[in-house]
Amino acid sequence: MNIVVSIKQIPNLTDELEINAEGTGLDHDALQYVLNEFDEHAIEEAVLAKEATGGTVTVIGVDTTGELDGALHTALAKGADSAVKITGDFPRGTDSHTQAKLIADAIRGMSPDIVLTGVQAADDRDGQIGPMIAAHLGVPYVGVVTGVQVKEGKAVVHKEYAGGVMAEFEVALPMVVGVQAAHQPPRYAPVSKIRQIAKTAKIDEVTGGAGPRAGSTVRRMFKPESAGHAEMWEGSPEEVADKIATLLAEKGLVKRG
Amino acid sequence: MLALTERTIFVLMVAVFGSITLWGFFNMYRIVRRGRAASKFQNLIPQAVKAFLEVGLQTPVYKSRLILTTFHAFIFFGFSYYLLVNLNDLLEGFLPGYSTAEVSTGIIGPLNFLGDVLSIGVLLGVVVFLVRRFIAKDKRLEFNKDVLLYPAVEKGGVKRDSLVVGGFILLHVGSRFTGQALRLAERSIINPMQPFASALSFALRALPPSAFTSAIHASWWIAIGLIVVFLPYFIISKHVHIIAAPVNLGLAKQGERGHLDPAVPPGAPPDLAPGAATLADLAWPRLMDAYACIMCNRCQDVCPAHNSLRPLSPSALEINKRYWLNENFTGFAGGAASPPLTEFAISPEAVWACTTCFACVRVCPVGNEPMADIVDIRRRMVNDGAELDSGIQSTLEKIGKTGNSFGQAARNRAKWAATLDFKIKDARKEAMEFLWFVGDYASFDARVQEITRTVARVLKSAGVDFGILYDGERNSGNDVRRVGEEGLFEQLAEQNIAAMSKCNFQRVITTDPHTLNALKNEYPDYGGKWDTIHYTRLLAQLIDEGQIKLAKKLDYRVTFHDPCYLGRYNKGFNPPRALIQATGCEFVEMPRNKENSYCCGAGGGQIWMGTTPPGERPAENRIREALAALATLNGHGGNGAKPDKPLLFVVACPKDVVMYTDAVKTTGNEGKIEVKDVIQLIAEAMGEELQTSNSQLQNAVPA
Amino acid sequence: MAKDILILAEHLNGKLADITFEMVGKAKELAAGFGGKAVAVLLGNGVKSLAESIGADSVLYVDDAALAQFNPEAYGRLLAALIQERNPRVVMIGNTSIGMDLAAGLSVMTDLPLIAYVNGLAADGGTLAATSQIYGGKIQAEALPDGEACIVACLAGAFPADTGKGSAPVEQIASPAPLDDLKVNFVKLIEPEGGDVDITQQPILVSIGRGIGGQENIELAQELADALGCAVSSSRPITDAGWLPKTRQVGKSGLTVTPKVYLAFGISGAPEHLEGMRGAETIVAVNTDSKAPIFDVAHYGATCDMLDLLPALTEKIKG
Ligand SMILES: Cc1cc2nc3c(=O)[nH]c(=O)nc-3n(C[C@H](O)[C@H](O)[C@H](O)COP(=O)(O)OP(=O)(O)OC[C@H]3O[C@@H](n4cnc5c(N)ncnc54)[C@H](O)[C@@H]3O)c2cc1C
Ligand code: SF4
Ligand code: SF4
Repeated sequence: MNIVVSIKQIPNLTDELEINAEGTGLDHDALQYVLNEFDEHAIEEAVLAKEATGGTVTVIGVDTTGELDGALHTALAKGADSAVKITGDFPRGTDSHTQAKLIADAIRGMSPDIVLTGVQAADDRDGQIGPMIAAHLGVPYVGVVTGVQVKEGKAVVHKEYAGGVMAEFEVALPMVVGVQAAHQPPRYAPVSKIRQIAKTAKIDEVTGGAGPRAGSTVRRMFKPESAGHAEMWEGSPEEVADKIATLLAEKGLVKRG
Repeated sequence: MLALTERTIFVLMVAVFGSITLWGFFNMYRIVRRGRAASKFQNLIPQAVKAFLEVGLQTPVYKSRLILTTFHAFIFFGFSYYLLVNLNDLLEGFLPGYSTAEVSTGIIGPLNFLGDVLSIGVLLGVVVFLVRRFIAKDKRLEFNKDVLLYPAVEKGGVKRDSLVVGGFILLHVGSRFTGQALRLAERSIINPMQPFASALSFALRALPPSAFTSAIHASWWIAIGLIVVFLPYFIISKHVHIIAAPVNLGLAKQGERGHLDPAVPPGAPPDLAPGAATLADLAWPRLMDAYACIMCNRCQDVCPAHNSLRPLSPSALEINKRYWLNENFTGFAGGAASPPLTEFAISPEAVWACTTCFACVRVCPVGNEPMADIVDIRRRMVNDGAELDSGIQSTLEKIGKTGNSFGQAARNRAKWAATLDFKIKDARKEAMEFLWFVGDYASFDARVQEITRTVARVLKSAGVDFGILYDGERNSGNDVRRVGEEGLFEQLAEQNIAAMSKCNFQRVITTDPHTLNALKNEYPDYGGKWDTIHYTRLLAQLIDEGQIKLAKKLDYRVTFHDPCYLGRYNKGFNPPRALIQATGCEFVEMPRNKENSYCCGAGGGQIWMGTTPPGERPAENRIREALAALATLNGHGGNGAKPDKPLLFVVACPKDVVMYTDAVKTTGNEGKIEVKDVIQLIAEAMGEELQTSNSQLQNAVPA
Repeated sequence: MAKDILILAEHLNGKLADITFEMVGKAKELAAGFGGKAVAVLLGNGVKSLAESIGADSVLYVDDAALAQFNPEAYGRLLAALIQERNPRVVMIGNTSIGMDLAAGLSVMTDLPLIAYVNGLAADGGTLAATSQIYGGKIQAEALPDGEACIVACLAGAFPADTGKGSAPVEQIASPAPLDDLKVNFVKLIEPEGGDVDITQQPILVSIGRGIGGQENIELAQELADALGCAVSSSRPITDAGWLPKTRQVGKSGLTVTPKVYLAFGISGAPEHLEGMRGAETIVAVNTDSKAPIFDVAHYGATCDMLDLLPALTEKIKG
C-alpha cells in the first residue's frame, strides 16, 4: 500500500492576523506558520492505515515558508516513512490551485494507492486542495471523512453530513480522501524524536514550476466587525429576548414567530 | 549453657539458614544492580555519617506522625541494643558457667538495666503497632478504591507480613525477657538492675523447680534460635528495611530537590530509550526503594492526588514493586524482564494524577523517591507515543509551536506591559542588573496580568534596574519536563539559555516558582548558570534595606500558602512571610505549612489536563484549611458572624492565583475570603510610595 | 446561456437542504442583474416533486437510479458535463459537506476559477464580487474572478432561504454523462448513535454558568433549549455540582464547541471557559455584571437577569 499525505502550512490562527498595507492580503511575514490542523489528522489516519495493512507513508508539501522541514520531520516522527518538499518561488500564502497542481505533478510518478489530505485549510480561499489533486490525477475524491479502511484495492470511507449522519462509501483505489478527523486523535511526536530525525532523515526535494494561480483576485481584505467588545443590548428582559430571537431568525436557526 | 546436641543443632541451623539468607542478599544485590546507572554519588563518607546520624536520631522518621514515631523509636533503640543482648545470650548458651541475669554491679549492671527497660519499650511499641493495624484498623493503612494493587498486595500481603514481623518481635523479645525473669525466679533473687524482669520473676517463682531448666532452654531457643529461623524471611519481608533503609538514606538524593535526573543516564548508549517502561529501566536506587520501603503509607498521607481520591498512591507503587520482586526474585535477579510497570505497579491514570509536589519524597522516612519513578514512566510513555491526556498533548503541542502554554503568538508575550505608564527595559537591547523571567501564566493569563503589572510597578518604584526578554522568553520547561517531555524541555532550555546569554545582566528574578526551579536547578546542566531568585526574596531584601517603604499598615487577617516549587523545592519559606509581616497584617499559619505545605494541584502538568476528575480538589481542601486556620484568630467571626477584618489567602505563584480563585468559588466561599498575591499586599501597603500607574487599564479582571 | 447562474440543489434523505433555497434566492437576485436566469440543477432518483419545490427561474433534473444517494464521483461528472454544455456565468455550490467534494474538483476540470467560503455575493456593475470568510472567520476577503465566469462555494446560512422557495418550470434532462462505471459506490447511511447529546454538534447552545443560581433553575434553560431544538451546555461549576452531566461542560477541561450561536447565560468568561467556545460563530452573553470578561469575546451582550430572560425568550421562540 503506497500512501501519500499532502500537507499545507497555514498561519497560526491564534496570532493577531494583520492585513497588509494594500489591504488585499495578510501581512504574511509577521505571521507564524503552522501545519493545517486537518492535515495532522490526515497524517494520523495514514499512519493508522499503514499500521493496519502495511505499506509506506510519504508526506509531501509545498514549502511556502522555508520552514516545511519542521512539519515533515514531525510527520516522520509520527511514523511516516519518507518526506518530500516542493521548492521554488512560492511565497507564503500560495493559493490552493497552485499547490494542488504542484503536488499532483509530484505524486503522479509515485503511483499512490491512496492520497490523504486535510479536508480543508483556513486559507483555502480558492478551494480545497484534495479535490483538485484528485481532478488532476483523474481519480475519485471523497471528503469530510472521519475514518478510512483500506483492503484489497478498495477503501471504505465514512463521510460526515450535517447533524451527525454519515454515509459509507466503498471506493476502488486509487483515490484521494479529504480527512475531517482521524479515527483516533493525532498522536504526539516527542521532541527528542523529532530532533533525532532532523539530524538524520533525508527530505527529498522536488523543484516545482509555475502554478495555475487562483483565478480570482482579492481586491479588499478586512476584519469582520470588531470583536473587541460586545455590542450591548439595552432594555428589559423582554426586549433583549426579542433581539435574541431576531438574531436566531436572521441566522435561519428558528422560525420568526 | 546449652547441651551439646543443642549447640550442634544451633550451629547446623546457623549454617543452613545463614546460607539461605546470604544467598538471598546476594540476589537482592543482583536485583538492585539490574537498575540503570544513577547519577554519581559524591562525598560518600560525609553521606554515610549523615545517614548514620539520621538513623541514630530517627530524624527522617520524625518528619510526620510524632506519636507513632516515638513508639517506633522504642522499637528501634530496643532492637539496636538487642544486637548486644543477643551476643550476650549467645555467650550464655555457649560458654559454660557464663550468666548475667543476676549481675547488678560493674559494667554488666547498667547494661542489664538498659536491656530490661528497652525490652519493655520494644514490646510496648510492637503492641501499639499491632493494635493500630489489627484492632483500631487505622484508615491510613488502606488504599483508595481504584489504586492498582499487585495481586499479592491485594490479598493482604502487607497485613500478613506485619503480623509475622510483629509476632516475631513479640516472641523474640518477650522470650528473652521471660528468660531473664526465669533465671531470677529459679534462684529467687531480685536484681535491682532488671526491675521489670524481677517483677515478672515473682510470678514465675510459682513454677515447680524441675520446670526451670527446660523453661530457660526453651526461652533461649525462642529468643535466639528464632532469629536464625527468621533470617531468610527477611528477604521477602518489609522488615529488611532495618538494613535497606540506612543504606538508602546514605544513598539519598544529593544536590537540589528540584533537579530531576536526566531521562537517560549520562554516558548511556544513544539508543537507550528514555524513562522507564519496566523495572530494569529504573535507576538502581529506585529498585533499592522497594526494599527500603516499610509500607507505612506516610507518603500516601501527604499525597494530594490520594487525598482527592485519585487512584494514585506512592506507597502502593513501592509496595507493588516489592511484591512483584518477591514473587519473581531469582528470575529478575537472573535477568528476566518485568512486565510494564503500568501493568502491575501503577496504573496509567495514576501516573497522570501526580502533581510532582515532592511531598512523598520529602516525608518518606527511608529516603524513597516514588515521584522519580512516576516521572520516568511518563517519559517513556511520551517517548513511545502512548495516548496522552488531550489537554496535556495540546499544551505540549502549543508550547512546541509557539513557546508558551497558551498557544499565543510570541509577540503577545509582553502585551501585559503595554498598559504600564513606563516602558520596561528590553533585555535584548540594554544592560541591567536584574533580568526578570516572567513566565507563561504571569504573562498571558488575564487574571494574573494585573498582578504581573503590580510586580513591575513595585520594582520600578523601588528603583530596581530590571528588564524582560519580551518575545525572546519561552516557557521555562519546568512542567514540560515533569510531564515527561524531556526533548521539549531541553529545546526550551537551550532556546532560553541562548536568548539570555546574549543579554547583559547580573541576576535573574522570576515571578513563577516553577520557572525559578527550572532556571535555578536545571538550567545549569545546559550551560545556563545564573544566580536566580524569586521576586519575594528580592522584595524582602529591598524592604530590609529601606528601598521599599511601606507607608500604610494593612488591616487584614491572612494566611499564606507555600507554593511547592517555591517552598518545599527551593526553601523560599521566609521571604513571603517577612513581606506579609512587614505589611502589618494579622498572620496565621495553616497546619500544613512550609515543608508540609499542601500542593494546590496544578503542578506536574495537572493544570493542563483536559479532564476534570471528580472529588474534592486539592485547592478546595486547602481553602477549607485556610478558613479553619483563620478562624482560630480572635474576632474571626465564628458562628456565622462577619469577621471584623477581611480574610485573605495569600499566595506567591501565578498558577496559585488561578487555582485558588477558582477554589474559593467552587467551595462557595466567595465574599468570605479573597485570594491575593503577596505583591498586591506590598503594593497596597506602599500607598503613595507606589509611584507608577496602570494608565490605560480598562476592564477590571475578576478577583 | 452565458448569463445564467447554475445552482446545485442539495438534498439528503428526501429533503432539500436549506442551502439550496439560500443559493437560489441569491442567484435570482444576481441573475436579474446579469440579465440571465437562475437555473437549479437537481440530481437524484424520483425527485420530481423535490424539483418542483425550488423557487428558481427554472429547474433541471436528472433522474437516475445511480443518483439515489449523493455520490461525489457521479455528481462531479454530471456537473462538469453540464457546465461544459451550458457554459453558465456563475456556478453556485454549497460550501457544505456535499459541495466541498465537488467545487474544487470542478474548478480544475472545467478550468473555471473557484471562490470558496463565500458569505457575500454582489453583482458589482457587470462583475461578480464574492466575499469569502476565511482564516477561521477572522478575515473577510472580497474577490473578483479573473475571467467572467466562475464557481462560488457558498457557506450555509449566508443568505436568506425564503426567497428561494416556491416553484418553477421543471425539466427532466437525460444524464449528460455515463454513470455505469463509477469507482465510488454508496454503501449505506449511518444514523448518529444515541447517548447523551453531543454538544459539539449543535447549531445553537444554551450555555449556563453559576448565574443560574441553583439546580432548580436548570429547567428554565432546558425549556429554552427544547423550544430551540438544541442542547444545554455549561461552565465547569455546573457540571462539578452534578447539575448537568460532564458531557455538557465547555472549556479547557471540557469540550470545545463551535456552534453558530452560543448563548452564554450567567457565565463570567474565565480563560478556561473561553478556550472552549471562542470559535463559536456568534456569541451572545447575558450577565448582570457589565464588567464580566465574557463581554470581551461576545458579539452581543446584555446585562439583564438571566432568570428573567430565560422564560421570556422561551415564550418568544414558542411564539
Ligand atoms: C485547571 C482549571 C481548568 C478549568 N477548566 C474549566 C472548563 O473546562 N470550563 C469552565 O467553564 N471552567 C473551567 N475552569 C473554571 C474557571 O476558572 C471558572 O471558575 C469557571 O469557568 C467559572 O464558571 P462561571 O462563569 O459559571 O462562574 P462565575 O465565574 O462565578 O460566574 C458567574 C457569573 O454569573 C453572573 N450572574 C450571577 N447571577 C446572574 C443572573 N441572575 N443573571 C445573569 N448573570 C448572573 C455573575 O455576574 C458572574 O459573572 C477551570 C479552572 C481551572 C483552574
Ligand atoms: S509527588 Fe506529590 S502528587 Fe506525586 S505521588 Fe508524590 S505526593 Fe503524590
Ligand atoms: S515509600 Fe516511604 S513513606 Fe511511602 S510507604 Fe514506603 S517507606 Fe513509607
